[in-house]
Amino acid sequence: MHDERLDVRVTGESAARETAPAITFDAISKSFTRPGGKPLEVLRRVGFVVPRGTVVAILGPSGCGKSTLLNMAAGLIAPDAGSVAVMGRDIAAGTVDWSRVGYMFQDDRLLPWRSARQNVALALEAGTMPSRERIARADAAIDLVELAGFAGAYPHELSGGMRSRVALARSLVGEPTILLMDEPFSRLDAQTRSAMHRELLRIQALRQMTILFVTHEIEEAVVLADQIVVMAPRPGRIRTEVAVTIPQPRIGAAATTALVNELRQSLGEAEPAPENHP
Amino acid sequence: MSEAEAIAASRVPAGLKTALQRCALAAILLVVWWLVSLVTPAYVMPNPIRVWQRIVQLTASGDLPSNLLVTLLRVIAGFLIAVVIGVPAGLVLGSNRTLGNFFEPVLPVLNTVSSAIWAIFAIIWFGLTPLTPIFVVLMTALPLIVTNVWQGTQAVNADFVELARALRFSRAKTLRKIYLPSILPYFFSGARLAFGFGWRVSLVAETIGSSSGVGYRMRQASDLIQTDQVFAWTIVQIAMMLVIEILLLQPLERRLFRWRRDVRS
Ligand SMILES: Nc1ncnc2c1ncn2[C@@H]1O[C@H](COP(=O)(O)OP(=O)(O)OP(=O)(O)O)[C@@H](O)[C@H]1O
Ligand SMILES: [Mg+2]
Repeated sequence: MHDERLDVRVTGESAARETAPAITFDAISKSFTRPGGKPLEVLRRVGFVVPRGTVVAILGPSGCGKSTLLNMAAGLIAPDAGSVAVMGRDIAAGTVDWSRVGYMFQDDRLLPWRSARQNVALALEAGTMPSRERIARADAAIDLVELAGFAGAYPHELSGGMRSRVALARSLVGEPTILLMDEPFSRLDAQTRSAMHRELLRIQALRQMTILFVTHEIEEAVVLADQIVVMAPRPGRIRTEVAVTIPQPRIGAAATTALVNELRQSLGEAEPAPENHP
Repeated sequence: MSEAEAIAASRVPAGLKTALQRCALAAILLVVWWLVSLVTPAYVMPNPIRVWQRIVQLTASGDLPSNLLVTLLRVIAGFLIAVVIGVPAGLVLGSNRTLGNFFEPVLPVLNTVSSAIWAIFAIIWFGLTPLTPIFVVLMTALPLIVTNVWQGTQAVNADFVELARALRFSRAKTLRKIYLPSILPYFFSGARLAFGFGWRVSLVAETIGSSSGVGYRMRQASDLIQTDQVFAWTIVQIAMMLVIEILLLQPLERRLFRWRRDVRS
């Protein structure tokens, strides 16, 4: 079944792929059927793009389908309607190169029988990399998340924040060009969190990495993202998209605080209690 | 590493204490045995010294090591066949709901069949050959291993399987890196039970359906009312099981499951 028009279309497509966004969500709808219940509509016609080399945040209340969206971008679940493309390739067609896509789940999912180092190395075990190199890279990734000295510890010997940093190292160790992160810093204290923010931005700029991440915190979205996708629940829809153009470093900048407050107001959250200045 | 050393240091006295306790217990039992042997005829309860002499004599003649080895090899053979059949069977039954539901009643039924019944069938089918004790060990060990591996497959965390999917692991890799380590603790406890039961039933099988092995020699000794020999064989096999437990199983378990949180306080 050879068709010339098909060839033309394919060539045209591969040229378009060079410039295609890292991730494209095109009118995604998804319902889950619960056993014995009526279907739960989780996403309704959600569409947005994540351009290459940018950081995009998904912001929204619990249960609005944020993790579901990331699972779709990782090719773990398929939408009922609409399509998801990674680097211009439709996931449904099965031609996406997944080796450069990192996924940090909402829970850490560390294998309890593996040490931190071995857990990080797991992400390199799909291919044929020799184990010595896997371990060397895992150790480097563990240094990156400031856990040097805990590489040999088992998950139960680590705190919640340390475990989520091991999971972060596991998602970074394959040097992904696209990184999907589901509430990556939610279990860190404020200080470690801003250290991790700086580190992530450094790696992102260095590797020209595309990041799509989920967060509950307006401030985190404003500090990290070039684009914020704000979602509304039941069913999950896009409420608004906000472009952030404040230059880095944004942490502590006046413009950052202003945008955070503006977003807080427009999204209907209470303003933080005014601080008492002496 | 200093933390590890501290833990090791705190364990040594505890280990020493239990060792002393065990020795004391053994000494008490020996004394009780000796006291009872003073007031009973030798064919009912021979005294410890005489039993010890018998053990030395049986060892020197080669009778004891060779029969112990014969029985041990039979138990290992039956046990290994049970592992080779039972592990894949448990995996298949655990991963296929239809098959699992269909075969579920078989295991409790197998478990209720006494090993004596298996021994009788074995004699009918295999006669007085080594196959008889091997078969009995196999039929005893198999349901234990299948049940445990099956349970292990139910305990595999679906989130870990999804993680493997996100990492694009092949089926074989997912089996090796996610399923097998999750199932290993279940397999281990099943295998341990199966080996212990296997040893016990192999003796039963050998007493009624064999012309060699520890069980056969024990029945011979009891037929001739050589009670000291019966005692000698009993003590030797208890010692052997203790050695296997302490020198093989416990270190293996500690090594395989050192990642586990210690639940003892
Ligand atoms: N596999 C599933 N089967 C059935 N329902 C599901 C499934 N996965 C998610 N849901 C439902 O879909 C909705 C959205 O889930 P999702 O995990 O995407 O929310 P979320 O926005 O990530 O929430 P949170 O901020 O709390 O993590 C929830 O109501 C959840 O109950
Ligand atoms: Mg979520």
